[in-house]
Amino acid sequence: MILNVTFWAFSALAVFSGWRVFRADSMVRAAYWLLVSFAAVGIILVLLRAEFLGLILILMMGGEMTIMAVFMVAFMMNPAGLNPMTMVHRNSVAIVAGVVSFLAVAALGLFARFPVARAPEGVDPTRKLGVELLGNSMLVFQTAGVTLLAAMIAAIAISSARGRYGDADQGSVEPDQMVTAPAGDVAAAAAHDPAPVTSPGAHQ
Amino acid sequence: MNALRVVIAVLSVGTVSVAGIYLAAWVDLLVGRAVAGLEVRPLDALIAPLRWGAATALKARTTTERPDAETWALAPALLAALAAVGLAAVPLAPGLLAADVANGIVLFGAAMALVVVAVFLQGWSPNSPLPMIGGYRFIAEGLSYEIPLAVVLIAAALPARSLAIAPIVTSQEHLWNIVRQPLGLPLYLMAGLGLAFWGPLALPGGQDLAGGSSLETSGVSRILWRLAQLLVLVAVAAMGAAVFLGGWLGPLFPGAAWMIVKTVILLVPLIATRHFVARVPTERYVVVSWAILIPLSLLDVFIAGIQALVAAR
Repeated sequence: MILNVTFWAFSALAVFSGWRVFRADSMVRAAYWLLVSFAAVGIILVLLRAEFLGLILILMMGGEMTIMAVFMVAFMMNPAGLNPMTMVHRNSVAIVAGVVSFLAVAALGLFARFPVARAPEGVDPTRKLGVELLGNSMLVFQTAGVTLLAAMIAAIAISSARGRYGDADQGSVEPDQMVTAPAGDVAAAAAHDPAPVTSPGAHQ
Repeated sequence: MNALRVVIAVLSVGTVSVAGIYLAAWVDLLVGRAVAGLEVRPLDALIAPLRWGAATALKARTTTERPDAETWALAPALLAALAAVGLAAVPLAPGLLAADVANGIVLFGAAMALVVVAVFLQGWSPNSPLPMIGGYRFIAEGLSYEIPLAVVLIAAALPARSLAIAPIVTSQEHLWNIVRQPLGLPLYLMAGLGLAFWGPLALPGGQDLAGGSSLETSGVSRILWRLAQLLVLVAVAAMGAAVFLGGWLGPLFPGAAWMIVKTVILLVPLIATRHFVARVPTERYVVVSWAILIPLSLLDVFIAGIQALVAAR
């Protein structure tokens, strides 16, 4: 009884907050409505006795949604993320895509055959998950993990303040410019305009 | 009987929260006065937090131009709730555990990961520059302390072969984790200071930002924010006592007494850092954390892994 009420309450919260994501008028609000939605799904996973998966989902999404909000705000040239904006564009296409994907997922839910066997007692889902991840599928997961790590280190190396073209806050000159232009011109240009920045918002 | 135990555990979380917060505020005042060379008045320091609370509650509430009122009101409550969840994951004595889950370490980690959300919202919501800088600072700080925090907790769970806290405590019956994994506790406490944005790592609320993320917060929100911050420190100290100092294990006295003593032993130095260690610049902290603390925490989990392999033979 309590289990059912909890399940329906958090299902409703997940759907409601998912809808609010697209009604929000700020990237920060949208990101945190999405976090609420994910947290509700995480709690449903805990109710399904996948405790580790549910908690780890909440743990990961807490950091990820914050980072997403910061990146979105940075890309929008809107430092506070409080300027009004809209989450929906190209409404007719969006409506068609939304209805079609809803019907597809709903059909899956109605017509797919789900296993009806209850999980046997005494099974530790965390242990089974660990054996699955680090047993038969170890090569796949470790390869993906190392690839992602390499990508992250590369991204940091490219965007680091102490980058390969010099300190980011000092302004920098790309190497190919140094080759094509006489050295004196480049130095003079760098002295006048140490950080040439084109604003994406300038033409809007 | 089981329901009774849960009620007692929940009540004990409430009691420990109130007592821990009060103790933290008291110690903070005492150490502050002692370091400043003023006369230490323990009885006055008992009343001072109440006086501050009454004065703050009675002051007129201030607001800003077009704040996000909902998230602004939510932030202190969220921080307090997360700290309480973290504390609920820590067993005070055998069986005395409010959040009796099989993955207690993960529950603690999940609650503490969301602290970044609470602090960022506190800084972002007032629509005011200095709090917002404080909020962004805390994201950089959070990305720096979270990995060492998670990794040293995983290392502490390795000898127990369990993610639940109670087996981690009992696995220290012969040797506490502080001895077995000498890197663990210092790294954990440093990450804990970041988590509670306290002392040297009080980056979002720094004086250079005139109060930072909580600059515009007044009234009850202000009081709740302060209480929640102290509760995060209490939760950090309690979890540290459980996973590194052997939790309730100890001779003669009941387990809960040992647990309280060990929590206080960790809580007092954490509080005192505010008066002994200067605040670290954000950029330096991020560099030190990624270049030194994260590699050290990986070394810690590596040592714990080798010990677990040797023990398994």
